[in-house]
Amino acid sequence: MALKQNMSDWAADLINSKERAAIPIMTHPGIEMIGKHVIDAVTDGTTHFEAIKAIASQYPTSAATIIMDLTVESEAFGCRINFGEHEVPSVMERLVHDFETVSNLKIPDMNSGRIQEYLKASRLAAENIADRPVFGGCIGPFSLAGRLFDMTEIMTAAIIEPETITLLLEKCTKLLLQYVLEMKKTGVNGIIIAEPAAGLLDETLCEEFSSKYVKLIVDATQDENFMVVLHNCGNTGHLTQSMVNTGAAGLHFGNRIDMLKVLQEVPSNILVMGNLDPVGVFKMSDAGQIKTITSNLLKATREYSNFVISSGCDTPPGVSQANVDAFFEAVNDFNYNNITSKQLTY
Amino acid sequence: MENILEKIAYCTEFGKINKVSPYPPDMKGQDGVDELTKLALEQGVSPNDILTKGFVLGMERVGKKFSENKVFVPQMLISAKAMTTGMAHLKPFFTSGEVKRKGKFIIGTVAGDLHDIGKNLVAMMVEGSGWEVIDLGVDVNSDKFIQNIKNSNATAVALSALLTTTMVNMEKIVKEIRGQVPEIKICVGGAPVNQEFCAKIGADHYSPDPQGLVEYLNRLVA
Ligand code: B12
Repeated sequence: MALKQNMSDWAADLINSKERAAIPIMTHPGIEMIGKHVIDAVTDGTTHFEAIKAIASQYPTSAATIIMDLTVESEAFGCRINFGEHEVPSVMERLVHDFETVSNLKIPDMNSGRIQEYLKASRLAAENIADRPVFGGCIGPFSLAGRLFDMTEIMTAAIIEPETITLLLEKCTKLLLQYVLEMKKTGVNGIIIAEPAAGLLDETLCEEFSSKYVKLIVDATQDENFMVVLHNCGNTGHLTQSMVNTGAAGLHFGNRIDMLKVLQEVPSNILVMGNLDPVGVFKMSDAGQIKTITSNLLKATREYSNFVISSGCDTPPGVSQANVDAFFEAVNDFNYNNITSKQLTY
Repeated sequence: MENILEKIAYCTEFGKINKVSPYPPDMKGQDGVDELTKLALEQGVSPNDILTKGFVLGMERVGKKFSENKVFVPQMLISAKAMTTGMAHLKPFFTSGEVKRKGKFIIGTVAGDLHDIGKNLVAMMVEGSGWEVIDLGVDVNSDKFIQNIKNSNATAVALSALLTTTMVNMEKIVKEIRGQVPEIKICVGGAPVNQEFCAKIGADHYSPDPQGLVEYLNRLVA
């Protein structure tokens, strides 16, 4: 049975807890734990779920997450996708390039591409992981539009062909709305919307070409039992307010941002998650370094009860278990010391 | 004459591509780089002046603002687009040899890495400063770099990487390029790269943004 969780209460509990919660966006180590490859998990919902389950069984994450696969929705629209055995899939070429091709673009249904596999993984995770919330995932509207139109081209087209990009965003948002609602039906407790490309816009453009559409999804789906977390790893500090404006109850940041500054800017009732470098720290450092870096971030953010420690993005394939262990050890040590030192002051 | 060159520089800086482009809003309906370049050529302005006192100057100004975080990626790209539109009118003069480019420059995102926005920006900035650019795209391995260097007789090659994992591939690529074409200048860049890493892998130049690279390249041919 899926965990029926009032997510507002859950967030309030995290904020009031003396312990720092950890929600790394992390499925790839789970895939490796069950002896499978990336290609198996991104193409088969059951394998994907088993990887999520393996992480949840092994590690004290405060919520389970799914793979941040930013090709599922583009594939549904018709993009050709490159699958590697050990790599996250990627979009091979653009699908649309002007007003006419965008006008002709059909909004896919829920049976397109791998959508059903991702819904299946989410459903199985929701049904079988009962001790913590499960977050599904999808791409954000501007990043999806960028994948369909070409990431570099959309940056200028947003300015010189706003009608084309607005139409494209409307179509992307329609698909995403439908997808998130279906995801909600699977019983997951929330969704992480990954909107990295919006991070390259200035504040005005981000508001008009990303946040406005994210807000539509938030307004239509977020409620007591379903939380939206907006991830933007491209934001280097200039877009935090625009992210807040979307109304998402959780915000997730990448490693290029100053976490302390973010915590000063974001209202204390919004969960703020981030931001250890998924590649530079999780993958490339050794266990000792990870412990130090994790514990430094925890100490620096100690005063902010709405902080949740996480990776700055999906942790990639090839992260060793020793490194994941080191991350959780650091969280554990911090919580233990924090509680003991608090008790000592009484 | 100075006036039209300044106008071209201004339109490049602010990304006014052509008359029909709605951007920037306060220049709606006015000529852009496209029309002004054609006009300048008709008026007998030297293509070389159009390049250096128009495009190069405009790109320099917007590049500086970008380095100072005063404008963002879209504004930079739109300036580059305006410049490219104007540059198309100079093609015949490049071919005839009347306008000489500073040299050939090769760029690519290294093997395993698909991030190309930064690489595209760098390529456009270098083109806008008067170089002929050969863009090899993304996921480029040593062989492809080497083959293109040999075929083109380029002065410099640039490697871009956005992932800490693919940054590591740079070391191998730099070594292999050195082994085959010792005289070529190798530049590296991208968010995780720094000066220390550049020195460690034996590359010739690192800069955090395109502006620094352009200055380096220009010093090479000064
Ligand atoms: C947009 C983006 C994407 C897009 C890329 C689209 C595209 N066509 O490029 C998509 C969504 C596809 C993507 C995918 C992935 N991404 Co990504 N992405 C980003 C993001 C948000 C912005 C990058 C960008 O374009 N910046 C804008 C440009 C203008 O800046 P730039 O590239 O740094 O270039 C500037 C300078 O560095 C310099 N420069 C660049 N090259 C060169 C070369 C030379 C010679 C010189 C001198 C200078 C120079 O000049 C440029 C202008 O100033 C960053 C986060 C961030 N804030 O940087 C993450 C980020 C780079 N991605 C990351 C990751 C992990 C991934 C994925 C692995 C995610 C996944 N699980 O699938 C995949 C990898 C796919 C692959 N194999 O490459 C991480 C990398 C972490 C790390 N330390 O390695 C980052 C930092 C996000 C994060 N916080 O975790 N990503």
